[in-house]
Amino acid sequence: MYPIPNRFDVRARKIRLAAMLMHEAFEYRFEKEVVLSRPCIYGVFSGHFGGFKPLKHKCVGCMRCVQEYPHIMTVKPSEAYKKLGDSFWTPEMVYTIWNEASTGKIPVKGMGYKGAFGGEGFDGIWTDMSEIVRPTRDGVYGRESISTSVDVGRKPTSIDLDNVIETPRTMEIPLPIIFDELPNGTDNDDVQTAVALAAGKVGTLDVARETRLGRPGPENLLPLIDEEGIEDYEEKQPSILEFDAEKPSVLRKLLTRFDRSIIIGRLLFREDSGRVASELARQGVHGLHLYADYHGRDYSRDPRHISTALRDVHQQLVRDGLRDQVTIIASGGITLAEHVPKAIICGADLVGIDTTILVALQAEFLGETRNRANCGLRPRRINPEWGAQRLVNLMGVWHDQLIEILGAMGMRDVRRLRGDIGRSMLDSELREQSFKGIAWAT
Amino acid sequence: MGNLELIIEKHTERIQHGLEVLSTLKHGLPEGLGNKRWTGELILATYEQALTGDVPVNGLEYKTGNSGGGFDVLGWKSHTGVAKVDQDQVDLSIPLNKKREGAKIEIPLPIYGGGMSFGSISLNFMIARARAARKLGTYTSTGEGGYPEQIEPYRNHVITQVATGMFGVREETIQYAPIVEFKYAQGAKPGLGGHLLADKVTSEVAKMRESSMFTSLYSPFPFHSVYSVEDHKKHVDWIKTVNPRALVSVKVSTPTDVDMVAIGSYYAGANIIHIDGGYGGTGAAPEIAKKNIAMPVEYAIPKVHDYLVSEGVRDEIILMASGGIRTADDVAKAIALGADGCVVATAEAVAVGCTHCGNCERGRGCQVGITTTDPELSQFIDPEWGEKRIVNLFNAWSKRLRIILASFGLESIRDLRGRKDLLVRFK
Repeated sequence: MYPIPNRFDVRARKIRLAAMLMHEAFEYRFEKEVVLSRPCIYGVFSGHFGGFKPLKHKCVGCMRCVQEYPHIMTVKPSEAYKKLGDSFWTPEMVYTIWNEASTGKIPVKGMGYKGAFGGEGFDGIWTDMSEIVRPTRDGVYGRESISTSVDVGRKPTSIDLDNVIETPRTMEIPLPIIFDELPNGTDNDDVQTAVALAAGKVGTLDVARETRLGRPGPENLLPLIDEEGIEDYEEKQPSILEFDAEKPSVLRKLLTRFDRSIIIGRLLFREDSGRVASELARQGVHGLHLYADYHGRDYSRDPRHISTALRDVHQQLVRDGLRDQVTIIASGGITLAEHVPKAIICGADLVGIDTTILVALQAEFLGETRNRANCGLRPRRINPEWGAQRLVNLMGVWHDQLIEILGAMGMRDVRRLRGDIGRSMLDSELREQSFKGIAWAT
Repeated sequence: MGNLELIIEKHTERIQHGLEVLSTLKHGLPEGLGNKRWTGELILATYEQALTGDVPVNGLEYKTGNSGGGFDVLGWKSHTGVAKVDQDQVDLSIPLNKKREGAKIEIPLPIYGGGMSFGSISLNFMIARARAARKLGTYTSTGEGGYPEQIEPYRNHVITQVATGMFGVREETIQYAPIVEFKYAQGAKPGLGGHLLADKVTSEVAKMRESSMFTSLYSPFPFHSVYSVEDHKKHVDWIKTVNPRALVSVKVSTPTDVDMVAIGSYYAGANIIHIDGGYGGTGAAPEIAKKNIAMPVEYAIPKVHDYLVSEGVRDEIILMASGGIRTADDVAKAIALGADGCVVATAEAVAVGCTHCGNCERGRGCQVGITTTDPELSQFIDPEWGEKRIVNLFNAWSKRLRIILASFGLESIRDLRGRKDLLVRFK
């Protein structure tokens, strides 16, 4: 693991500290144990030089040293910590992913929520809960079974007993998250191998261009094929593949030449995505992978958050009676565990993660990460096994958090959550309902 | 005096002194203190109120945080031209039972203490809260960790909480209680049950909860005996059979159908419906739950109030709100939105030195002796000192509430209920 920046910068005014020690030495009659007992239970002053050289990496920001010695001590967020991330990735988000990838444990903390009230995008959505429901919960790991498996592919809408039944082209994966294609220029061999190994261990899919053939875990590969690459794959007949649905003519060719594969059309989220999605569904595509930029904004002229764009597409397919025939994968801006259930509530069957993979592997932030062609993340040199374990940890802890959200709602199956906007609460709506009648300040 | 006693005395004095000095801003506003909800200024203003018992006059922001929504974007309408009343004449009392039957209990201020369990907080802080409740003539709640014998002397001011883990719930603790509170859910972790990590389950805590030492304790969710309003009524009947004098409060979180939950509680016979919003406090909870599950109390209060009004039962049940009530202004705004009063817990912890750092759940717990079971750290809170600071805080809040009410010409806090017209919204 690469060293991570200290979260807090702890400093003592050294002359005042020395004076205080002298004062306390006399006050407590040179009783060393009392004089040197330090105002920190986390060991920040447990080094050889005590407060003169605090062990900053141990500081959790409890502020007790400042409370006891406000004239000597200062504690503030470190400059290195404040610089983490970009305009979208906050330092807290980066730290959260690092911790999840390191420990595989659900972040549990004391005290109430510390952040902003509601907000935009996913932050403006709260998930529902029920006071008296099953599945019951007897601890994080001791509850009735809740399924997080999802199906990828196209299902028949009815059974025709008079005709030969075509085997449904579906694939079940154990959690509604896949690893999406990594940003251009960031998928070095070690990173690719780590992702492929993790996909294999988790049992999920790993979207990559055809160059990935032959790497570990081909059974978990979701190859992204362009028209020229069709012939290369024809012999291999992958069980699932993605193509660039911005070129719809490819679909007919793929449906003919890959008659046992699940075919996923990949397209941008934009104003007309709903119409395009319906058209592709009518033409027989088995799934749609819609993606926003890495900050979760779609490619409309007036960019919308992925949560809004996703609802549009989902609702269009519902209106057209096509929703149950295709799988929707959504990616772009899925960076925290909470985004998974929220994206599913907005209409996705499953999500893809992208920059989160690199953050989990401790890639360096060099600038803004929004742009797919020029993402400001630079992967470090990693041991692929180490990287894979971090991704497995991350998926494990996201799975557990998904279970928490589903359990609170009384849901036994993540598939039931899809598009169930009624089990969510929107900040914008609640604000207008609850604050109705309150005048605006002038 | 041995060295350990000297060490505890040294740090206790330093902490207490520091709390007095910090709010003077002599050393500036500590940069690392606070967050969007509990800003550094709000924490220091709370220290100041706990010290003086008065509304801060040193320029510290004591009314709102900086969360960008909810109470923080609500303010008070201009009250120029309104006939004022004498602040000293303003009545802050509220009843806790509006039904014809049962004990007629009133509290002199529209606030009582929220549940914080033995195990999640130290015994000394628990005693300080109970003593403060007695002094103020209000109540505090045991939380779900049982009823330590050390708070029995204050039992006329202690609410016994019955939560899904049923930790330490005994017939006598229900019989002691003027109010029994069923905790169906908690705002910080709705739908997930209680959570006490292994480090804090000392022998005393384990004994009280009849569990094993240093083993994490998770309360189940939901009550395994309640899957309907009828089941819920059986619970209420059970309490009223064991203690016919007790009022029953039902603490719930804030799902989309919180209004239905409230009416169900009313029909089950509850005297108080207590809604705990999503931004509420906790000793330990998954971060994902705190931020994302259930609605904030600011939105739930009008929803419940309006529904109870439309059902014609609003004046037969008390609506208490909690989950992010940090200041006197928050209390007043909650009441203007439709609550009768508020349940407060985190602010009491801040009064005795909490920095809202959020390290309550781990290892030895709180560094200043609030949310800890560590025998040494617990001693930083002297119950008498803690009582004084909590009493001072609520005295300061009472003064601020009187200022608000008097400025609008209202003689009673009861007249503020549902007066959304007195609020304004900021963009």
